[in-house]
Amino acid sequence: MRANYRINSGVRFEVLSRDQLEELFNGVLHVMDKIGLDVHHDEARDILSKAGARVEGNRVRMAPHIVKKALATAPRSFTIYARDGNPAHDIHIGPGRAHFGPGPTPPNFIDVETLERRPYVKNDARIVATVVDALPNIDFCESLGTISDVHTDLAAAYEFATMFPKTSKPIVAWSYGWDDSSDIHKIALAAAGGQEAFEKRPNYVHYCEPLSPLVSTFDAVDKVIFAARHAVPVIFTTCALAGGTAPVTPAGIIIQTTAESFMGLVLSQIIRPGLPFFMGGVLSVMDMSAMILTYGAPELCLMMAGATELAHYCGLPLWQTGGCTDSKCLDEQASLEGSLSVFFSALSAGDLCHDVGYTESGMTGSILQTVMMDDAIGYARRITRGIEVNEDTLAVDVIQDVGPDGHYLYHDHTMRYFKTEYWYPALCDRHNFDEWVADGRKPMRDRVVDRTREILATHEPAPLRPETAEAISAIMEAAEDRVRNKT
Amino acid sequence: MPEILQHISSAVIQGEKDKTHQMAREAIDGGCRAEDVLYKGLMPGMDHVSVEFKAGRMFVPEVMRSARAMLNAMAVIKPLMVEKGIRMTGKLILGTVQGDLHDIGKNLVGMMCEGAGFEIHDLGTDVAPEAFVAAVKEVEPDIVGMSALLTTTMRRMGDTVKALTEAGVRDQVKIIIGGAPVSQTFADKIGVDGYAPDAAAAADKAKELTAATR
Repeated sequence: MRANYRINSGVRFEVLSRDQLEELFNGVLHVMDKIGLDVHHDEARDILSKAGARVEGNRVRMAPHIVKKALATAPRSFTIYARDGNPAHDIHIGPGRAHFGPGPTPPNFIDVETLERRPYVKNDARIVATVVDALPNIDFCESLGTISDVHTDLAAAYEFATMFPKTSKPIVAWSYGWDDSSDIHKIALAAAGGQEAFEKRPNYVHYCEPLSPLVSTFDAVDKVIFAARHAVPVIFTTCALAGGTAPVTPAGIIIQTTAESFMGLVLSQIIRPGLPFFMGGVLSVMDMSAMILTYGAPELCLMMAGATELAHYCGLPLWQTGGCTDSKCLDEQASLEGSLSVFFSALSAGDLCHDVGYTESGMTGSILQTVMMDDAIGYARRITRGIEVNEDTLAVDVIQDVGPDGHYLYHDHTMRYFKTEYWYPALCDRHNFDEWVADGRKPMRDRVVDRTREILATHEPAPLRPETAEAISAIMEAAEDRVRNKT
Repeated sequence: MPEILQHISSAVIQGEKDKTHQMAREAIDGGCRAEDVLYKGLMPGMDHVSVEFKAGRMFVPEVMRSARAMLNAMAVIKPLMVEKGIRMTGKLILGTVQGDLHDIGKNLVGMMCEGAGFEIHDLGTDVAPEAFVAAVKEVEPDIVGMSALLTTTMRRMGDTVKALTEAGVRDQVKIIIGGAPVSQTFADKIGVDGYAPDAAAAADKAKELTAATR
């Protein structure tokens, strides 16, 4: 039973004032107009030039009105549909709606049986999708790895092909370029029933990652063009290191990363006005001792919340980041860092919050972290539901009924509300000490591992139609043929 | 030891990059030998910076300013050392492999190695195997450093090793690699001489490999 609301109607949270958002927005427009970006894609520069952008070599600049035109057509609200038609797994993007899911591409994975860190393999994609399908607070799926035991060029395609049957929750796909974007799209179409059906009910999102600072790389641009031509909801965002590849200040990194996204926005809206488009990314600090992009920093929470507010100010949904940690294991640090970034994403209503399950600063994917964060997300969601104030919830007549020295335990009012007003944790333990001892004195991390193993042993995702499964096999066989002679 | 050399060490530690060129010039004009300015002035400063950085008391931007301070002094010192036939710690070619534009990590390695006394030739990003070969022939480095962030571009590291072998120059250099998806296992598989998980370790590895060949 999913009793969680998705709408942040209650708790008001703001990092930035309207004036500040206006300044940030103007900063973005300035960057795009006066500085521009290097766009490493001939066709894209051509498309942009014809739409009024100023192109000099690779450098593309554009006047504010071109950006605003794209913002006018990009939608704020849309739906990404479950592959099996189950409305409970549809994702409704819109104001106040925060969603969560894992992230892509770490090279390593925490083995669920041995708890050892090891290279990510194809079977891990099956594991992640199965667990994602079962978790009540995870809404979309990403693999938490890069498959190492298949042909390098097909890692992304195999990941999608492996996850797709194991969850009916929408997948956010990534790919290396046009070819494997195409493989992935064909798989999605097989379930959707063809391109026309897909355009009415898109069932996946495509993630493209250009480079900071201000470089629209060939593959990222090629993929956003693919997405626009095939009506695939698209994300075009960077992973920026404040102080390294972006300004050290939050206002600066927000402006730069927004400009980096907006190049993809403008391009996609020219090709297909109205294409669902996410800005955002991974905005965090470069730790000046450890020299990493920190996934556990409070600045990540702050920068992402600021970026979320700017996106919503511009009328766009935001690709958020949270539930992640720099910790190398499932410990107190992982819980602290992951929970706080989850909480801030929920507070700012980041539309799709990814990397829930990223550990070791993005080097190791851990489905255990995701499972632990499922409780944190439930916890955060309960808070952001807020406090409903109406005649019934004010309960003055109930207080009258019960009076001094009475109790509320089986009052109608209590009965009516107690199941939906309270959040019941799956993992946080509330038993008394003796019960806890009798149960094995387990710390939370043990319960997380137990729960993950239990889900894997028992959970059955909605099955694929046989025709879809056959189509996937055929698509992957053709992909293997395509790469057969490459080393 | 002449006071000027101590001042130079301090200037490096403080990251006073606009002063060190002039200070090196003064030291030489005052009679110091070029190699003394380097090994008794600049390097002790950078060694101290290295210790402080590893202990978490100095940070990357400060290390970089110190390295830049040293580099500015080297503009005076190096030509004199070349004249006398004295070598620096070593020569290092750096590049991000073909198809890959990520460079922040490589840039950090360059700065760290410069601080360790290496002469750096940074080929930039998207560097084809042939370009590495051409640079090795022209520069005759001790070390070739390759960086990649994408699993698909990692493959080019193996291609570059092959290209260097086919060109007959593989034995003349030591090759080190790095980048998020790279590992010791991968380094062993493609037959390079070293792997480092971060820029500081890369500088140490470069020093180790160069010392071993001298």
